[in-house]
Amino acid sequence: MSHQWGMAIDLDRCTGCEACVVACHAENNISTVGEEQAELRRAKHWIRVERYYEGEFPDVTVKFMPVFCQQCDAAPCEPVCPTFASYHTSEGLNGQVYNRCIGTRYCANACPYVVRYFNFYNPVWDKPLHLQLNPDVSVREVGVMEKCTFCVQRIKAGEIQAEAEKRELKDGAIQPACVQSCPTRAMVFGDLSDPESEVSRLAHSGRSTKLLGELGTRPKVNYLPRDSWHGNEIS
Amino acid sequence: MATKSAEQITIDLLRPLSGISGRWAFAVAILGGVVVAALSAFGYQIYAGLGVSGLRMPVFWGFYITNFVFWIGLSHAGTLISAILRLANATWRRPVTRCAEVITVFALSIGATFPLIHLGRPWLAFFLFPYPSERGIWPNIRSPLLWDFFAINTYLISSVTFLLLPMVPDFALVRDRAEGMKKKIYGVLALGWTGTPKQWHRLETAMHIMAIAVIPVAVSVHSIVSWDFAMAPVPMWHSTIFAPYFVAGAIFSGIAALILAMALLRKFLHLEEYLLPIHFENLGKLLLVMSLLWFYFVFAERLTAWYGNESSEMAVFWTTQHGSYSPLFWTMVCCNFLIPFPILAIKKLRTITGTAIASFTVVIGMWLERFLIIVPSLSHKYLTYSWGTYRPTWVEITITAGTFCAMALLYMIFSKIVPIISIWELKAGQHLKTQAVRLVVRSSEAGAD
Amino acid sequence: MERRDFLKISAVAGATAALEGCGNPDHQLIRFVPEEDLLPGIATWKPSICTLCPAGCGLLVRVMQGEAEVIRNGQLGLLKMGLAKKLEGNPAHPINQGKLCPRGQAGLQVTYHPDRIKAPLARNGPRGSGQFREVSWDDAIKQLVSQLSDLQTVKPAGGLAIVTSPLRGQKKTIVSAFAAAFKNSMPMEFAFFDDGVLRAANGASFGHSLPPTVDLGQSNYVISFGADFLGTWNSPVAQSLAFGHMRKGRPGVRGKFVQFEPRISQTGASADEWIPVQPGAEGILALGLAHVIIAEKLRSASAAGHAGSLIEGWSQGLPDYAPEKIAAQTGVKSETITRIAREAAAHDPAVALIGDAATAQTNGLFNALAVNALNALLGSVGKPGGVTFSPSSNLKESNLSLQALASQINSGAAGVKVLLLYNANPVFGTPAAWGVRAALDKIPFIASFGSFIDDSSALADLILPDHSSLESWLDDAPVSGSAKTVVSVAPPAMNPLHNTRSMPDVLLGVAHQLGGDLARSLPWKTYDEAIQASFTALYKEKGSETAKDADEFWKTAQDQGGWWSSEEVKAVTAGGSSAASPKTAAPQFDGDPSEYRFHFLPFASQLFYDGSLAHLPWMQEAPDPLSTVMWGTWIEINPRTAEKLGVNQGDLVEVASQHGKLQAPALIAPGIAPDVVAMPVGQGHENFTRYASGRGANPISILSPVSVEGTGSLAWAATRVKLSRAGKGKLILFGGSLSEASPELKHR
Repeated sequence: MSHQWGMAIDLDRCTGCEACVVACHAENNISTVGEEQAELRRAKHWIRVERYYEGEFPDVTVKFMPVFCQQCDAAPCEPVCPTFASYHTSEGLNGQVYNRCIGTRYCANACPYVVRYFNFYNPVWDKPLHLQLNPDVSVREVGVMEKCTFCVQRIKAGEIQAEAEKRELKDGAIQPACVQSCPTRAMVFGDLSDPESEVSRLAHSGRSTKLLGELGTRPKVNYLPRDSWHGNEIS
Repeated sequence: MATKSAEQITIDLLRPLSGISGRWAFAVAILGGVVVAALSAFGYQIYAGLGVSGLRMPVFWGFYITNFVFWIGLSHAGTLISAILRLANATWRRPVTRCAEVITVFALSIGATFPLIHLGRPWLAFFLFPYPSERGIWPNIRSPLLWDFFAINTYLISSVTFLLLPMVPDFALVRDRAEGMKKKIYGVLALGWTGTPKQWHRLETAMHIMAIAVIPVAVSVHSIVSWDFAMAPVPMWHSTIFAPYFVAGAIFSGIAALILAMALLRKFLHLEEYLLPIHFENLGKLLLVMSLLWFYFVFAERLTAWYGNESSEMAVFWTTQHGSYSPLFWTMVCCNFLIPFPILAIKKLRTITGTAIASFTVVIGMWLERFLIIVPSLSHKYLTYSWGTYRPTWVEITITAGTFCAMALLYMIFSKIVPIISIWELKAGQHLKTQAVRLVVRSSEAGAD
Repeated sequence: MERRDFLKISAVAGATAALEGCGNPDHQLIRFVPEEDLLPGIATWKPSICTLCPAGCGLLVRVMQGEAEVIRNGQLGLLKMGLAKKLEGNPAHPINQGKLCPRGQAGLQVTYHPDRIKAPLARNGPRGSGQFREVSWDDAIKQLVSQLSDLQTVKPAGGLAIVTSPLRGQKKTIVSAFAAAFKNSMPMEFAFFDDGVLRAANGASFGHSLPPTVDLGQSNYVISFGADFLGTWNSPVAQSLAFGHMRKGRPGVRGKFVQFEPRISQTGASADEWIPVQPGAEGILALGLAHVIIAEKLRSASAAGHAGSLIEGWSQGLPDYAPEKIAAQTGVKSETITRIAREAAAHDPAVALIGDAATAQTNGLFNALAVNALNALLGSVGKPGGVTFSPSSNLKESNLSLQALASQINSGAAGVKVLLLYNANPVFGTPAAWGVRAALDKIPFIASFGSFIDDSSALADLILPDHSSLESWLDDAPVSGSAKTVVSVAPPAMNPLHNTRSMPDVLLGVAHQLGGDLARSLPWKTYDEAIQASFTALYKEKGSETAKDADEFWKTAQDQGGWWSSEEVKAVTAGGSSAASPKTAAPQFDGDPSEYRFHFLPFASQLFYDGSLAHLPWMQEAPDPLSTVMWGTWIEINPRTAEKLGVNQGDLVEVASQHGKLQAPALIAPGIAPDVVAMPVGQGHENFTRYASGRGANPISILSPVSVEGTGSLAWAATRVKLSRAGKGKLILFGGSLSEASPELKHR
């Protein structure tokens, strides 16, 4: 059976530091839109850390939740794209084919997580910032939708390497940029079809929930909510 | 209407085709100017990118899709009224049918430009076309946008046919009275019509078939347009009521547009003796029914949402009822129901002026309704962090203004080229009426014997 | 031959080759012959060191071939070269173990910044006008040498001031030696978020003048007094790694984390309990906890040893700090104090941290000593799960404070003739009340080694632009974050893009030209020679199980990014100095409370840190974690306070202290005390590249010039301000809502 890529995010570890946000920009050639466009809410943070306050002073708590493309197995963005730019790959990812995208933006509306971003203008890098661009990732032009791909370029590179070296892919060998950078190790990436993988273990841990799971999108990201302190707990 | 001779009818209805008044030219220049501005705005948008619009996260559809739905909706009047009235053999329909059919064709054409205008990469719009590409990729049939593509094209082709068919005898009429180049052009358009009984029979049969065929097409088109929204899991979009709601709304806005168009034609083309108070009275009654129907649909949808109390739906509900969108919402309710209802329900107010005012507010109200279906829902989806706002820019406003001016412009030009009232149908109606009168007289005479 | 000549010849050869068959030579850039042998599309990974905050994390740099437009010998052309594409944490490095914070990730943009200074500049207009002209390196160095040699010959010797960021490793050696060679020199390490108070406290309590290394990963109970340890304080990545482990890395065990601070910070957001405390009362609160522990006999007072003896009243059981007595002063209920104390004592190992605003009060040193005593009482010092100290002993010498220097210059008492600036922005990072800007104006010659024109380097007469860190040799000896001995080293990850030179190399060159004792004290020609010498010494001292000689040791260290001991070194913490400890337990604030009703709380920005990263577009566009603000600045106000002031979200607010005023848009923040307002540090640069110039407001500018008693550091949390509404402002927020529950529903 082919790999089925998924992730687990432990919200008890996540501190909202946004290392994942910046790592993603660096890895995936996401352009900075600038102050004017940011004011129009057009910044393209493929992964964003949602922050929610609860309570009133002095009893205030804060929740952080990294939200990005959930690579849903029943993705609402896939049936609605008229040109098959949004489609489901054999490894369970929601693929975005930039060349096919004519920019109807139906997928962005259909996505309940609002994790699809649109290129309202051609991307600009003030030279020589363009020298930082990752050659493994295409640069999207104006009018094209883009979103988190689980760093598919790293997945492909890892799979090709493993095949060339005639060995199995080890759990944890492939890490999207966000997972690799996360200082608290809150994010885990791996093969959900492998019951021994860490992501499978976390997905079946009993603490695992799905974001907006009730909508039937069957997302592949498992959120483990923040835990609470239970006093004396030494095993 | 007072019985007129066939000759008089022809003279009256062909009069608008001759000569261009200064007032007409001035109006065309203004309207044309706005249309050119709109086209330039669109050109600028292609050049710079969709960023020149006010679209943003999470409101990725705004004015353009509002216009798309609005104009497609408006187009329902024509063909639906014309087709249904023909099939029902309503005698009062005769001066109205072509006005209505023309609205359909132009509104549909305008509406059909918006899928192109709102695309991120319109130069690749041909991907929507099912052609055998070298990569073996066909468009995605599961996408409601593709259903739009087929439905609207089908509707456009059938409406154009439905409009052109009954125009043939009138083209022949113009041809027969024209000279030189005008004679040649109308000669081509007349398709060699000579008015033989066989030709008439063929025409009547063809129109009968089209009348029947176009009704399901029209119903399906706006159902499909509604499914652009209903098929997506967006709060207050994903509702089963959308297909009938949209069709009803479309007919509603279409009738309003028709009444408005007729009121304007009557005044500016001096058709007071052809477009009579009874026409406005009858269409006014239809508008009243649609207003009630519209209110019923909106009430049913909102009552269900409110009672169900699902939190993401309630966010959208309250933002339209109490929140930032409430001024627009209540304006819409006034325009679509609170103002038209008394005007149309009270016989004394159901005059030509009255129905025209009511229609005007309905057109505004229906445009607002499309906007309020699209934008508040997109602004308030499931994750509150993603909530946002929308404000159109001059590009979207200019293009919107351009569509209204384009509609008026096309209508004005059309009524200069083709008789806006179907001459032969009117004459046929006269003839039938005279015949019926004669029958009555004869039978009463007979009875009197 | 010299590298320069080789390049000249290569360039000509390359140009000739490229021009042959070119369609339009005038419009085509020539291609230089590549200096490296790289396969396109294949990445190599090179070690490096992050220099953006004091933690000193290890990096791995992904280098791939790319084509850059460069100027070589005044000729613009294209060069295929290895380019850094992505930064990751170095998995082998003991501090960050393969992980990296958002600032570290953004470090890439420093190298490729469009406004980097590309060649030496000499002032070409009035000072501060921003008018410069390019000069050659020869001319620049000649000018610097002549200014410095003038200093040596003038009698009495003219003053040389060297203002740098806190330095470590051989850079520190070189700069210190440089300063030492001038009779009247004033070397000064300056940073706004200085760890001086913590060092003084730890030196006094435990004999280690270092910031603490906290073994959070093994801890069961963590109490932080205002330290943003998951965001910006001390060694954030190491601490975050440990925090993750503390939470969920030990099956069946989950540590508790309590944060005491007046404003919920990004770290406080992850606490199990966030408990607001009155500004400056952290030390009193810590002693309150200690009181409960001692009074209820959960630990014996003598367990605190020397650290406890520094606190007045300790041996009597801290009678003045009973919870009921301190509840009003700290703003924390006595039941809460009692409960937390009991929980901490019952869940060994328990550890306390203090930092940021809590140590930047007038009683900051007292607060730190109190927390040290609490830690000693809890038994966590030098133990797993508690506080320890890095074996890297890079003791910071006490040096002149910038405040004192500025006032001396302004009053005429000090005659500074030459100022060398490196990696420090004192015009931005000091309160206006210190008069640093005016003092700089009085210095006849200012030379800067910076890569960017910023508020301070804009005043320079000569700029000798440094390489970016990815283009430089680097070495570092981190002072916290690991209990192993860590000495980092990294060769340049890529060749320089522009006509820049490594600052230590320039200093060494200048030293040799000046000759004399200075040249003798710096026997190396280049910086990497100096680093190698230190590694040779390290090899002699530590030995190695794997390297057979110093050369192999040196090579291995370069390959892996440094050398580190295989075992953690246990810190001896029994001793401590008996320097007089401050007596004042309560904080003092500048500004009459009846007029200046609010505590003003600047805080380190997760994205800009102390402002030194505001020029990076990724940092401007990333939403601030709590406020979600992009491309701007803000002042956080409690909702009820805002209501009383008639201030809505986004309204412009004027914030005035006794020493200045600024304007910023208001952000309604639930997690801040009603009498506190907070503002991030980082924006408000008058001059700092196209992305940060003229953007926002700088809270540092209006701070009161009060010091932390006992150390002389700036008490930057001791200012009081008044607020007034000043019109409409602009807030660019990425987040559409404050809370998950729909605010529309609250409408009903």
